[in-house]
Amino acid sequence: MAEIPEEIREGLSTALHEGDEEAAESFTRRALDDGVDPLELIKEVLVPTLTEVGENFQEFRIFLPELMLSGEAAKRAGGLLEAAIEAQGKVVTTLGKVVIGTVEGDIHDIGQNIVTSLLSANGFEVVNLGRNVKPSAFLETAESENADIVGMSALMTTTLPMQRRTVKLFEEVGVREKYKLLVGGGAVSERWVNEIGADGFAPDAAAAVELCKSLLGV
Amino acid sequence: MNTNHLPEIVDRSETGPYAAESDFDLMLVKKVPELISRHGIKFDPKVLVPSDDAMVDRLYEAAVELFVDIGAYNQTSERRILFSRGETEEIVAGQPSRIVLGTGKDAVVEVHREVESLVPCRVHSGPTGTPSSERHHKLILQSCAQEPLVDCLGAGSVSTYMGRQIVPGSPTEILGTRRDSAEAREAVRKAGRPGMHIEDNATPLTCQGKMAAVDPASGLRTSDGMLVSQMVEMKTDYDQLSRVAYMQSIGMHIVDLLVPLVGGLGGGAEGTALLTVAEHILGAVLYHPSYHFMGHMHLMRINNTDRMGLWIQAMAGQALARNTPMVVSNDIYCVSGTGTSGLLWEVAAGAMIGAVCGTHQHGMGVAGGATVDQTTGLEARFQAQVAHAALGMTRSEVNELVLGCLSHYEDRLDDPDPGKSFPQLYDVATLKPNGEWLDQYESVCEALTGMGLDIDGAWRRVLRDRDLAGVVS
Repeated sequence: MAEIPEEIREGLSTALHEGDEEAAESFTRRALDDGVDPLELIKEVLVPTLTEVGENFQEFRIFLPELMLSGEAAKRAGGLLEAAIEAQGKVVTTLGKVVIGTVEGDIHDIGQNIVTSLLSANGFEVVNLGRNVKPSAFLETAESENADIVGMSALMTTTLPMQRRTVKLFEEVGVREKYKLLVGGGAVSERWVNEIGADGFAPDAAAAVELCKSLLGV
Repeated sequence: MNTNHLPEIVDRSETGPYAAESDFDLMLVKKVPELISRHGIKFDPKVLVPSDDAMVDRLYEAAVELFVDIGAYNQTSERRILFSRGETEEIVAGQPSRIVLGTGKDAVVEVHREVESLVPCRVHSGPTGTPSSERHHKLILQSCAQEPLVDCLGAGSVSTYMGRQIVPGSPTEILGTRRDSAEAREAVRKAGRPGMHIEDNATPLTCQGKMAAVDPASGLRTSDGMLVSQMVEMKTDYDQLSRVAYMQSIGMHIVDLLVPLVGGLGGGAEGTALLTVAEHILGAVLYHPSYHFMGHMHLMRINNTDRMGLWIQAMAGQALARNTPMVVSNDIYCVSGTGTSGLLWEVAAGAMIGAVCGTHQHGMGVAGGATVDQTTGLEARFQAQVAHAALGMTRSEVNELVLGCLSHYEDRLDDPDPGKSFPQLYDVATLKPNGEWLDQYESVCEALTGMGLDIDGAWRRVLRDRDLAGVVS
C-alpha cells in the first residue's frame, strides 16, 4: 500500500476541520485512487483530526455548528473508506457500540447529540434513540444491537427517576451485567450514580468519551 | 390571520415540508452564518453594550429573514411550519405592548420598553431555573414575594412529592403541581400581596401537569401566567401548542420561554443573538404570548453573564425594543452560588444591560441551576436596586460599568464560588437574611455606589412614582 501523500493528509484534515464535505470526498477519493490503505487513512488522518475537532469544541474554540459540519464531512469520507475496506474483504472495526438516548419525559436532547458526535468522531458506533425514550426501548435496542454501553441522559431533576427506572429494568430482566450503564445530564451527580447503581457519569461530552474508552479498556 | 390562529398552525404543522430533525438543524446551521455575514453583524468583546442602532436593526432584519426562510420545526409532526413575511410582520405588529399582570391592588402594568427608556423595569423573581426542595420552596417564594421592589413571582421546580420522586405524567406530577401552585398563592398572601402576578409553576413537565396548576381558589388564576417553551433551536411540539390552546381559552397570560444556547446551533455570539431575536418572533407567531422570557445561556456553563452572553442580551433586547411592540424580560443566568459577592456582580451586569436595552428584569438562575434551594429574596432586591439605579443612563455609560462588574468575576467563570443554600442564608422562621449574606450585599452595594450608581436613592424614586410606571414611555 502507498504512503499517504502530504498534500492529501493536509487537504483532508483541513476539509474535516472546515466541514467541507465536497473537499473531504475529493481528497478521500484521490487517496484511494493513489492506492492508500483506507485503514491507514482512518488511523492517520480521520481519527486524529476528529479528536482535535472534539477538543476544540470542548475548549469552546469552535462551536456546535463547526462540530456538526465536521461530522458531516467525516461521514462522507468515512462512507467511502468503509466501502473500500469491505471491498478488500476486511471488517470495519469500532471501539465499541453505544446505545444512547434521553430518558422518558425529557425532551432536552442537545447534550446527548453532542456526546453522540464526539463518540462517533472517536471511533465508537453509536445508536442514538433520540429523546423521550422508554426504559424498554433502551433495553430492546441494547439487546438487538448487541451494545457494549447504554447511555441515559436527563437534564432535569424531575426526569432523573427515569434513569433509575431504566437501570432497574436491566436488573429485573437479568441482563444488567452485560452492559455498562452510564448516566449524564445537568442534574446527575456521583451520589446519584451510586444511588441508582449505574456504572458512571461524565460531566461533559469529552469526559464521556474518555469514560467509555476506560470502561471498555480501549 | 384571525385572532385564534392555532387551527391554522395545526394545519401547517400537518402539511408543511417534511424534514428530519437533524436536517432542519443542518439547514439552520448553514443559514445563520450566511445571514450574519450578509447583514454585517459583528461581536466586539470590548463593547458589550453597543450603541450601534444600524447594526441592531440589521440583526432584527436578519432574524425576520431566518424565521420566514426556515420557519418553526414541529417535533411531533416532523414538519416545518411556514409563515410569509406579510403574515409574520402582521402578527408581530399585533403583539401586546402593555399588559396588566396580577389583580386588584397588587396588579402591575408592564409595558414595552424602548432603548434607554425612562420607564422603570418590572422585576420578576423566584427560583427561576433553580430547583427547590419540598421543605423550603414555600419559604423561598415568600422571601421573594415580600420584597417591596419585586413586582411578580415565579414558582419554582420541586422534584418530590411527600418525599417521593415525582414521575412525570403520573398522579404525583398532578399532586406536586397543585401543591406548588397553592404554595405560591400562600406565599403572596403571606407577603400581603394576594393579587400579585404568579408567572409560572415549573414543577410539571407535561401539558396536563400545567393544566393542573390552575385553581382560582388556591392555585394559579387567569391573572397569572405559565410558560410555554420553545425547544432549541426554533422548535415546538403539540404538547407546548396544547398549553397555548388551554391558556388562551381561559384567558390566562401566556409567557413565551426561549433558551437559545450560546455555542450551540447558532454558533457564537452573533449567531445566538440572531436566534434569540428570531425565537421571539417565532414565539409571537406560534404562542401569541403576553410577554417573552429571554433565557439564552452558555451551552456548557449554563450562564449568560460572560462577554458573549451579555452582548447577546444587549443586542437582542435593543433589536426587539426598536423594531417590535413586544414586552420582553431577560433572565440573568449566573454561575456563582447564592450568598456570594460573585453572584451579585453577575446580577449587576445583567440588570444594568436590561435597564438600558429595553427589557424587564426576570430574576436569575443561580449556580448554573444545578443546586437545590439556591434562591433568596435578597438577590431579587439587589437586582431591582441596580436596575432602577441604571435608569436614564446611556448604553455607553452602562458599557463601562458592566466591564467594571465583569472584572470582579470573569476569572472565576469556570471555577465559581458555589455559595450556600436558603436555610444557611436566611432565618427560616422570620424570613430575614442573616448577617453574613447582608454583609456581602452591603459591600457590593457600596462598591457600585462608588462606581456612580445611586443604589440607595433610585429605587425610592421608582416607588414614589410607581403609579406612573408603565404610563410614561
